[in-house]
Amino acid sequence: MNDTTPLHWSFDYNQGAQNPEFAQELLKLLRGYDTSHREAADVVRHVYEVLPNFWRGYKRATPHEKTLRIGTAVIERQKDDGNIWNYSVRYENTTSGEDVRLKFRCSDEAYRPLIDKWRVDTQNSGDDVYSSLTYDGYLTLNAEIRLGINGTEIIAGIVKNALPLTCNWALFDVIPALADTVQRSALGIDIALLDDLEQFRPKNRLGFLESIHAPIPLDGYYLYGTGVLPSYWWLDSYGNIAIVSSVFETLVLKEKTGTLS
Amino acid sequence: MSKRPNILFINTDQHSWHALSAYGNPYLHTPNIDQLHRNGTSFRNSYCTDPVCAAARSSWATGMYTSETGVPFNGGRLHAEIPDIGQVLNAGGYRTVHCGKWHVPGRDVRESFETLYYGRHNIAAGGAAYYDSASTHAVANFLTTYDSDEPFYLQLGYIDPHDVCEYLHNHEEKQIPNPIAQGIVSEDALPPLPENFNYDERETVLHRVCRRVDNALIHARILKAVREWDELQWRYLTWNYYRFIEKVDAEIGRVLDLLRKTALHENTVIIFSADHGEASGSHQMFQKFTLYEESVRVPFIIACLGEEISIQKARFDETHFISGVDVFPTICDYAGIAPPEAVQGMSVRPLAEGKDVPWREYAYIESNYWGRAIVTEQYKYITEYKPQETVDFLPPGPDAEHLGVAQLFDRHAVPSETVNLADVAAYSETVEACREKLFAQEAELRRRHIVHPGAQRIISNWGERLNAYWTHGE
Repeated sequence: MNDTTPLHWSFDYNQGAQNPEFAQELLKLLRGYDTSHREAADVVRHVYEVLPNFWRGYKRATPHEKTLRIGTAVIERQKDDGNIWNYSVRYENTTSGEDVRLKFRCSDEAYRPLIDKWRVDTQNSGDDVYSSLTYDGYLTLNAEIRLGINGTEIIAGIVKNALPLTCNWALFDVIPALADTVQRSALGIDIALLDDLEQFRPKNRLGFLESIHAPIPLDGYYLYGTGVLPSYWWLDSYGNIAIVSSVFETLVLKEKTGTLS
Repeated sequence: MSKRPNILFINTDQHSWHALSAYGNPYLHTPNIDQLHRNGTSFRNSYCTDPVCAAARSSWATGMYTSETGVPFNGGRLHAEIPDIGQVLNAGGYRTVHCGKWHVPGRDVRESFETLYYGRHNIAAGGAAYYDSASTHAVANFLTTYDSDEPFYLQLGYIDPHDVCEYLHNHEEKQIPNPIAQGIVSEDALPPLPENFNYDERETVLHRVCRRVDNALIHARILKAVREWDELQWRYLTWNYYRFIEKVDAEIGRVLDLLRKTALHENTVIIFSADHGEASGSHQMFQKFTLYEESVRVPFIIACLGEEISIQKARFDETHFISGVDVFPTICDYAGIAPPEAVQGMSVRPLAEGKDVPWREYAYIESNYWGRAIVTEQYKYITEYKPQETVDFLPPGPDAEHLGVAQLFDRHAVPSETVNLADVAAYSETVEACREKLFAQEAELRRRHIVHPGAQRIISNWGERLNAYWTHGE
């Protein structure tokens, strides 16, 4: 890993205004996790630091913090005896002040289709009336996505096109599982997403971008759809999504335990 | 309508009038804002007061034009003595609630409103990716738990599609490869280049110095980057812009879906608008700050999801000129509260009800302190004041001696604003008539001296650059 090698354009947000430098932060994080970790564990856990792609306007947890970090994403999943994946995700953002916790279940398939009920708990650390919110949801037999908030239920969308519906946070497993398929497909594959278990994005294209060898060997994938700005997902040689970058933020793998099997 | 209604003002940021699928744009999908159109009246001739966030928002907050508010650009400060909509409605017995973007410098939103959500560190200009979803959460909680008889005014300020600015800033430091060559998006998925991509270079000096010259006053580094763009990259900008709009449309959808499920929807007036538009390649320009249609013309819809409030639905108002100053008196009208005497705007409520009332014959727009535009049924007149050598920090107008370059566009013949008729002899009377309208409007304004030192510095610095251009050229 060489500090002088330019970062790939999709996650190069070294805009000069940031202190410390974006590239240094990203490289430090990539160096920090043990890429070869392959021990089986009951709970597979990936921890990502969230770096700002903004030229300004982002806020750290404390103004004098010696890091660019503006949040953390923790993805934990565990397969139960019924071969169902149980996900627990926490996304904390120091700019918005929101701490979002998601719990959902998926079938043991490459697309990780959502099943059963899911639940989201949010907390706002800002000094406002809104302090927390809980919503839950489920998929009906006729493919309606239903969300309930404080006893009020709405239809968040209808999955019409027979595409598998998964949560964006399950893509950390879906992309490694489908990597070969996507690479073989010239046009990529389509997938339906329930962003943060609340926003239905009916059709999204997941495609292969390219492979790079610096800062570490990575295979890149892109994702976009209706209401979904392009994001870029970089898979390392050990099956971990190491970097996810959008217009707004870059998630960089900081630590992991366990391995998917 | 037996009791005073709730009023929900939903606003997006940097959202051009044409960027809605309900208005015929096939390159994006906005089913939720379209729902507002179906349940209300859309105004075709709706203009911001000033095509930049803080300035336009100062008009929303006060019902006054930006040479009156103290915020004629983003670095201005709202004059302390001007009351805002929160204070006026509060005094009139409304529960006034704010959520999301405010961006009226000089006025603490928390002092005029109860804030549902305003970010952990106070929301500034951008950051939709972080704030918009949280704003929806806050409003979802509010609407599904509201059990008071007290009517509320809730202003919900979404930031998207303003984050297209971040897309542009990301080009300042790096080369982003052509997305078609990268295989990310197919060319046929991209919107076409705007028909007014090529423009008439006879523009105001203000526009040239702010937005065209090498060391442009506003976002010169983005300008440098986009000069290297090919056609596909311009089209990709618009493609991205439309995705940002779809993103905020989905947020609005959840609010509307929840509102519809509550009893509140029958007696809630919804006003939807945007602070300004986005050039998105028109006139080879990006962002806002210009007086061209894409930058100044914004959606304006008055709707109700129920039947208790009299609003003509699924209708376009084709004729009336709506301005950002009208938001304040419209809200006051629905609330049954008299607006302050100094408010310039007019209530749009009678128009939404289909009534024939006396109305203004043109829209008046300011820009970058010295820029001015008049939009009539047939013509758009754009001009500027030359900065004076002695700066007194009183926004200029009406002043025939210091007018600079003029642009005149025939809105019927060439709606793309690509043929400047201002110097064509046959249009000299039209120019003169527009100038008279400009001066008549400005004579009605209560212009105030800009007193904030930071804002004064901007005026001095910009004035020097403009005068240098007038003296020496580029």
